[in-house]
Amino acid sequence: DALPKRFIECYIAEQNMVQVAIGVASRQRYITFVHTFACFLLRAADQVRMGGISFTRTKYVGSHAGVSIGEDGPSQMALEDFAFFRTIPNIVCFYPSDAVSAERAVELAANYDGAVYIRTSRPNFPILYKNDEVFEIGKAKIVVESSNDVCTIVAGGVTLHEAMKAAEKLKGVGKAVRIIDLFTIKPIDRDTILKSVNATHNRLVVVEDHYPEGGLGEAVMGALAGQTNVKVIHLAVKEVPRSGKPAELLSKYGIDAEHIANAVEKLV
Amino acid sequence: MSDTNTVNTLERLANLLRIHSIQSTQEANSGHPTSCSSMAEITSVLFFNVMRYDPKDPRNPAADRFVLSKGHCAPILYAAWAEAGAFPVSDLTNLRKINSDLEGHPTPRLNFVDVATGSLGQGLGFACGMAYAGKYFDQSDYRVYCVLGDGECSEGSVWESFAFGSFYKLDNLCAIIDVNRLGQSDPAPLQHDMETYRKRVDAFGWHPIVVNGQDVTQLLAAFKEASETKDKPTCILAKTFKGSGLKGIENELDWHGKPLGDKANEIIAHLRELVNEKTLVRPQISKITAKVAEIKKDKEIKLSSPPNYDGKKEVATRLAHGTALEKLGKGCEYVIALDGDTKNSTYSIKFRDALPKRFIECYIAEQNMVQVAIGVASRQRYITFVHTFACFLLRAADQVRMGGISFTRTKYVGSHAGVSIGEDGPSQMALEDFAFFRTIPNIVCFYPSDAVSAERAVELAANYDGAVYIRTSRPNFPILYKNDEVFEIGKAKIVVESSNDVCTIVAGGVTLHEAMKAAEKLKGVGKAVRIIDLFTIKPIDRDTILKSVNATHNRLVVVEDHYPEGGLGEAVMGALAGQTNVKVIHLAVKEVPRSGKPAELLSKYGIDAEHIANAVEKLV
Repeated sequence: DALPKRFIECYIAEQNMVQVAIGVASRQRYITFVHTFACFLLRAADQVRMGGISFTRTKYVGSHAGVSIGEDGPSQMALEDFAFFRTIPNIVCFYPSDAVSAERAVELAANYDGAVYIRTSRPNFPILYKNDEVFEIGKAKIVVESSNDVCTIVAGGVTLHEAMKAAEKLKGVGKAVRIIDLFTIKPIDRDTILKSVNATHNRLVVVEDHYPEGGLGEAVMGALAGQTNVKVIHLAVKEVPRSGKPAELLSKYGIDAEHIANAVEKLV
Repeated sequence: MSDTNTVNTLERLANLLRIHSIQSTQEANSGHPTSCSSMAEITSVLFFNVMRYDPKDPRNPAADRFVLSKGHCAPILYAAWAEAGAFPVSDLTNLRKINSDLEGHPTPRLNFVDVATGSLGQGLGFACGMAYAGKYFDQSDYRVYCVLGDGECSEGSVWESFAFGSFYKLDNLCAIIDVNRLGQSDPAPLQHDMETYRKRVDAFGWHPIVVNGQDVTQLLAAFKEASETKDKPTCILAKTFKGSGLKGIENELDWHGKPLGDKANEIIAHLRELVNEKTLVRPQISKITAKVAEIKKDKEIKLSSPPNYDGKKEVATRLAHGTALEKLGKGCEYVIALDGDTKNSTYSIKFRDALPKRFIECYIAEQNMVQVAIGVASRQRYITFVHTFACFLLRAADQVRMGGISFTRTKYVGSHAGVSIGEDGPSQMALEDFAFFRTIPNIVCFYPSDAVSAERAVELAANYDGAVYIRTSRPNFPILYKNDEVFEIGKAKIVVESSNDVCTIVAGGVTLHEAMKAAEKLKGVGKAVRIIDLFTIKPIDRDTILKSVNATHNRLVVVEDHYPEGGLGEAVMGALAGQTNVKVIHLAVKEVPRSGKPAELLSKYGIDAEHIANAVEKLV
């Protein structure tokens, strides 16, 4: 609506949309941002793969992440997007958990000299950050912290907000937790995670609106491999989901505040 | 049969289906009533006149098939089956509720849905698979119908299916495009340019019939014409209006995916008058007339003869796969193989040569190949094995994803894994395939490292009641196992072992053989290592890995011909998470690779014997 001459409507043809974006971006005159539902970006997986071999600077934006979209059901839910996009060499994968960080992700993406994947979500999220908060690629944010945290929770998007609700519950039974908003899943902020885990009795819960393979959990566990004595519980969507209200689905698939709180209790 | 009574009844039923679509989406407060409305007459004519099926036995293999490619019109699909008697009409108010199988987009949790749709552009391919099976395998008279939206005809996969349908003369297949002019956010590119649609369909070798899609008489005539058209499939191009029959909403943009809200009551009242349900006499559903032969299912599917590599030194797993596939086909008459013009590289050509009637050449159209395989496999009469280069299977990632939602039992075989293919270079190398395939719920992922295990992988795959991915390799590998070695899903093999191993190496395919060479080097400097051949990456044999790691001073090297993300390394580290004190080195391909000799590439990307040995030395 604001810049119609610079918008290309590609219609329902994701393979070609990605191909066109890569073509427009070639010879580095223009920076392209491609948009569709994250699950439909996978329709162009081979094109994204070839884009990686082309060292394209195209930015891929996938919305409607995970079961949190609700009633439309699994055909519209991206639960395997990070598994694929993380494999592109040198790609940066953003998973902003609020509006402020989402805006900065776009800005950082434009300045990054390479491919980018941004996962956006459908539900409304509380604002987490001040308007002038500074964000960097590969730098996570600790959004909840105290001096006697018993466990670290790593999450993103809807699960970050569920983790914060879990923290409230746990506060009620005298347990404080540290919550990390990864912001970029790749590159992952290993230092922040490690420091936090070490400061919270080596207890870690990773919770994601994604299948167990290839997402936040495996990224974190891969980053921590070789660390001693870390006790991890990994919450993810472990079966083909179904239609339902978002809150019901988060509960059914074990990634809501209640399940996060239970996981922490189990570790402690 | 176009007498006024029939026509009048079908028109009224169409409006009844509109009412149900509006009411169910109203109750759910989400859904697509306007998209449903444009296809109301199409649905009414098909379900209450044309199609021969049994609402009480929706999966009857002799029944006509219906695929709703525009899956977001689930509400009208459900309404049709309910009115036909498959389940109570009152259940329609449970649309999109968590405790109802009437999901937002159709899935085969419902017994009247064969394949999940909702990701657009795939339905016609599923329908092609069903039609191909009907014509060539079942050799039966049942027909296959598929309704597509006009917006979704922008998908290339739709045109792959059009090409396939005419090439294979699927005259038992009838597509209907609901040309309602409006997409989600904008009009579809061709809007109501029916002549261009007609030309395109004709150019692809189908018989086009342009009709007013809200006119029951024209639709009846079109379906009759389709049934009489030989040697080519038919595509009915139905000119319709989004929101047709809905006063004030018809043909308006901005109503996609929106329940009618406060407009509902007035519109329903108007439609009720048109339906006049009190005097509506529902027609008899046309009975099934086709016949299909019963397929006697084997309790256990076996290769026609066991692996026999006596005297053979080195065999590529892709070749062993081809050998096994042929033997599987000979051992089981309902195994079907497909390939995307790579059959002399994947070796599915061995199956084609031995059993040509059960092989489907899909040409260079991987999306459609997967769609066809899923369609052939629906109703569980046939087991399908799809073949191409592993990296090209990713061309059909969304189809594989939807196949997961359909709980398909299709088996995907990807050859030419990793940098080990050599000079062809990265465009032909699969380095991210496990990352994607592992995400499919309940899929089994095989990574055989020699010919014997590759053959058993095929056999195990055929017997597994779910989807499978098999990664095969291009280079020749030494034979690792005896001909009669027994393999199981989720059970790794320890291929090198001693009582004083200082480190565990987990590998697969080419890296397993590099690890064995590394073991030889290390033996030379007095270090013994234990080597694990995972065999299945999913499910992963956590117990064997853990036991081995614990017995080898908690030292672990994982080495894979794959990018670092989502492959063997992350699978192993995920399985070991929470284990204490494990020191891991993960070797993988860490950048976009290039062309070169296989051995040079293995070295350059740090996954050859030398690098593996160095990693072990580092840990020790």
